[in-house]
Amino acid sequence: MRLEMGTFPVTDIAFGSRTRYDAGRLTVDRETVLAAVRQDPRIAKAELEIARPGESVRIWPVRDVIEPRIKVEGPGVCYPGICGREIATVGEGRTHRLAGMGVVEVSSVNWHDAGGDYVETYLDMSGPYGEMYPYRKLVNLCLVVEPDATLGEEIKNYAVHKAALTVADQLGEAVRSLTPPEREVFELTPADPGLPRVVYIWCVHSPQAMSGSPTAFCTTTYGLTQLTPPWYLHPNEILDGALTGPYRTAFAMSWTVANNPLFLDLYRRHGKDWNFLGVISLRTEWTTQTEKQLMANQTAKLARQLGAQGAVVTWDAGGNEFIEVVRSIQACERLGIKTVFLTSEDDATDGAPTMLEPLPEADAIVSTSFFKNVTLAVPEAPAVSRVIGLPTKRVLRGSSVGLHGGADATLPTAGPLPPPWRYDDHYGFGSLSCIE
Amino acid sequence: MISAIYNFALTTGANRVIRGARIEHVCGDPTLSPEKDYAFGMRIVTTALETLTIAVPGPTLFDPMAPGKTQEAAHAS
Repeated sequence: MRLEMGTFPVTDIAFGSRTRYDAGRLTVDRETVLAAVRQDPRIAKAELEIARPGESVRIWPVRDVIEPRIKVEGPGVCYPGICGREIATVGEGRTHRLAGMGVVEVSSVNWHDAGGDYVETYLDMSGPYGEMYPYRKLVNLCLVVEPDATLGEEIKNYAVHKAALTVADQLGEAVRSLTPPEREVFELTPADPGLPRVVYIWCVHSPQAMSGSPTAFCTTTYGLTQLTPPWYLHPNEILDGALTGPYRTAFAMSWTVANNPLFLDLYRRHGKDWNFLGVISLRTEWTTQTEKQLMANQTAKLARQLGAQGAVVTWDAGGNEFIEVVRSIQACERLGIKTVFLTSEDDATDGAPTMLEPLPEADAIVSTSFFKNVTLAVPEAPAVSRVIGLPTKRVLRGSSVGLHGGADATLPTAGPLPPPWRYDDHYGFGSLSCIE
Repeated sequence: MISAIYNFALTTGANRVIRGARIEHVCGDPTLSPEKDYAFGMRIVTTALETLTIAVPGPTLFDPMAPGKTQEAAHAS
């Protein structure tokens, strides 16, 4: 499976009469793009706004950031399966991407109505809070979108995310027939048999248990979010967006999945430093001991069948999902597969371990810092001069303990705001360090 | 302690651990009829209360659905 990735760097975006790309400058025909979005009768309201790096701008509520990618040659479409897109197996031929930019999905639609999870992320394009996230370096085209209020939560999710993908597709079309300024070929070519064989175990949350629905919206695998046994994915499938879509945290977004630095480095060093075998993607939040252990056993078995000698493990969730993740590590180690675990840590209040179930087999861990902004002592984000999205933000009690007295409050979006309760860098984007 | 993730409860040092149904419904099962759901939940809770009368040497698992449930305690390794 060979994929050529053509990269078109975007350095600025402006509105104009025709959507086109010229030497880093992306011009967007706002009315034509919005007309495509509004063709979906489920969409009640849609507007486009631009947010540039360094501007005093806050975007709220941010559900997703998407990097526009389109298939130029080869089967299927990028970001397959999600929101009803076709499900042909992707990863072959040629794909064009608009790098250095994001389509930001700005909407009040919540993930599901079962409680427990809320859209909490806002983004600043400057200032100390903005500095913590990779998106502040992107030129962002924000789709402020609301669905028909009478629809159910699941349909609303699919409608607004489809709208954001429609915008990304429209932009991608502008570079379909252009020659990419940068090209890179991705292929799992036969490697020196002396190199260590490494698999990436990429754990992603399933919202099924919490929402009670096997089709609840979340990060998807070809559109599926339900609890499924581990998948084996060719890394090219992931480059084409077979694993995509957002969920609760600022680092679990389409853009971060597509630009996961750990994944890209594993792939780019294939044949040089190791033999990269591909990705085992494990859905997490199974809800019995037996299921969790079964998934761990099957993940390790699949890694062994692939011939893995080493495995790198990440996850994008929290709480009880740690069990199937850490037990997968244990099961791999017991089969002789050495593991490295990249994870954030909980706080150590009252001497509690910073990981839910510390197992002796998980003895090679890379920490991406604490996952709660409260533990990191992230201060309130300062006031900004412009808001894209909603003028007020509901701040929930548990989200900002210690920052504004711990009470629920509705605050002006433009004013000083406590950070969302989670930081949680799932893939090692950040560069936070600590002082002992 | 009633827990669906009973191994974790055992390793954290709970002395009497009763196997629950699932994380999202520890003492019930919404797929059952209301009457059966009630009986199912009662069996778990009754088992939990009964274990309070049993001396245990350390973290011990009780399975409400096992025959002779309170005699079938499995000790944590």
